[in-house]
Amino acid sequence: MGNASEIFKFTRLSIIWLCLIFIPVWLVAYAVGIFIPYFLIKDQQNIFFDVFQALVPIIAVLVFIPINAMFMVLFERRGLALFTVRSGPNRVGVDGLLQTAADAVKLLFKEDITPRGADIAMFTLAPITFFAPSVFAAIPLLAAVTNDHPLFHIVNLPTGIFYVLAASSVPVVGIVMGGWASNNKYSLVGGLRSAAQAISYEIPLVLSLVSMCMMAKSLDVVQIANQQAGGILDWNIFGGGALRGIDKFIALNLVGNTIDAKTILDAAYPSGILSYIAAGVLIVCSVIMFLLYLTGACAEINRIPFDLPEAESELVSGYNTEYSGIKFAIFFLAEFTNLFIVSSIAVVMFMGGGGNPIPAWLLDPWWPSFASSVGPMFDLVTAKGLMLVDEHTFFPALWVIAKTYAFVFFAVLIRGTLPRFRIDQLMDFGWKRLIPLSLIVFLVMAFARVLVNVHLVMPAGGAP
Amino acid sequence: MENLANLAEINAASIETWMFYVLAALAIPFAYGVILDKAIIRSGFLLIGVFGAISGLFLILQAQFIAMAQIMIYAVGITLVVVIALMLTNPRMDLDLKPAAGNSKLTGFVVSFVLFAVIYLAIRSDAWPIKGELPAASNVAVIGQAITGQYSLPFEFASVLLLAALMGAIMLAKNEPVEPEILEYSEASGAASDAEAEALTTAR
Repeated sequence: MGNASEIFKFTRLSIIWLCLIFIPVWLVAYAVGIFIPYFLIKDQQNIFFDVFQALVPIIAVLVFIPINAMFMVLFERRGLALFTVRSGPNRVGVDGLLQTAADAVKLLFKEDITPRGADIAMFTLAPITFFAPSVFAAIPLLAAVTNDHPLFHIVNLPTGIFYVLAASSVPVVGIVMGGWASNNKYSLVGGLRSAAQAISYEIPLVLSLVSMCMMAKSLDVVQIANQQAGGILDWNIFGGGALRGIDKFIALNLVGNTIDAKTILDAAYPSGILSYIAAGVLIVCSVIMFLLYLTGACAEINRIPFDLPEAESELVSGYNTEYSGIKFAIFFLAEFTNLFIVSSIAVVMFMGGGGNPIPAWLLDPWWPSFASSVGPMFDLVTAKGLMLVDEHTFFPALWVIAKTYAFVFFAVLIRGTLPRFRIDQLMDFGWKRLIPLSLIVFLVMAFARVLVNVHLVMPAGGAP
Repeated sequence: MENLANLAEINAASIETWMFYVLAALAIPFAYGVILDKAIIRSGFLLIGVFGAISGLFLILQAQFIAMAQIMIYAVGITLVVVIALMLTNPRMDLDLKPAAGNSKLTGFVVSFVLFAVIYLAIRSDAWPIKGELPAASNVAVIGQAITGQYSLPFEFASVLLLAALMGAIMLAKNEPVEPEILEYSEASGAASDAEAEALTTAR
């Protein structure tokens, strides 16, 4: 542990920046959604009362994205420095805390150059096309990650995950557009590569998410996140809820409940030994699907080992070679926002959303006073009716933040570890390996699902 | 100031009408641009705008699923493939296209008029009753049940057709093997001697 002090600094930096991100975002959301309507307007018949409340999700996202991108750039640079035993940026501010804020200011003041021979309209439109969908895509996820907070309930679409996929498939148009409009061969090749890559890797990506929707019988992200509540055994990554029966069985046995536990197992696994085999198959399949999702997502957002569109050793900087100043900043912003969105989709679809990983039956005997000790703390804040903190949102949001940045950290680790693919290897890997594998696994899951009662809902009166 | 809910009840129809005009005002110039733009790649990108506006129309009609599919498949997938095909086949962008024959303007006029008349009559000849019932809450469930139930046979036919098209495309694009792979290897990595190449061939 020679670099323990570096790890400590990295952790400290992350915690400070996370506070810098989420406290302002929540304060803005609170000001627009609760403070202005309830304390300044007061009149619920007033049209602005509803308008302000409806504006909350989009304002929260717009505040969140720039600050988050600044943090993630710093996170990535310091993380890479950690993996390659360097110091990383550590001069600006206290221990490099303000490095990316300074970078952002610098980028805003740089000259905005349009190369000669470029198609000006499309050159300008490309960064916008790249960035705008990532703002839209994040919006339905807001409802899922805040445990359907009333302010964000409005964005909970019935076609949630499909909307997210549709919106996040648009940015590649921006890349191709930017590549073509730059009037530069490197940019054009970058744009073409990006399009080929996005189209091929979108198929395993979508199939892995569709398989989870199939297990959940829903496209609604809030519903999918809520189905996974109750500990790590209920998460979609472990069989899409196939272990729910075993989870309940253990819980009942520990409590020593009078209900015959066999009825629970029979309800969850109706056809005996076949069902248990199917549950095992489902677990294997969903882990494969999760890995497929990670691979596809990595390729979709052009990160190492799939960053061929901007391979700096071959293509200078790929599609954004000719961009400078604010346009380049927008490309950069969108890239990191996409990384965050992809991570939060992984959390919502596979990693239990805002659920606590530790099952309640494990936690309760050890820490019985948890609810009673935390409850009054919230009462202190909420007693005056300020609605500032809500424990039904606060803890899920904390878990989501922790899990999502764990995925971001994983992406940085991958970047620090793996070399880049070659373009023909990339296409071969996508079309000859990943797509057949995802189709086969999807088919197996569709059949195995029939034998297991996934996401078992307890029969009436059966729940302890 | 009125209650927003009240306002919505009164003006829902007119807001939808206004949204329709806004989207139409977007879609029609884009569609003209697709035809009129000299740079064919730019008209490919304008086509994406047309599809985007049309998916907005689907959203007004409460057809969320079709709107999303429109964006995902048409606006991004298909158009992008078309644009890439255009880029790779290198169309001559500077070429000033002139009508080939003298009466092509007249032909174009007649064809487009007949097309317009057919579509117009097809739309006007049928009654479009406005039903009072609400659209289904879950679009996807209704579409899924229809596809796998009532319309499963046409659906299967469509997928067989697509499969045939895919196989045809693969057959057309398939390269005939010109020379053994091993020669490329020894050429590419200049260091590899002939002895090494021979050893590799015998190993195979």
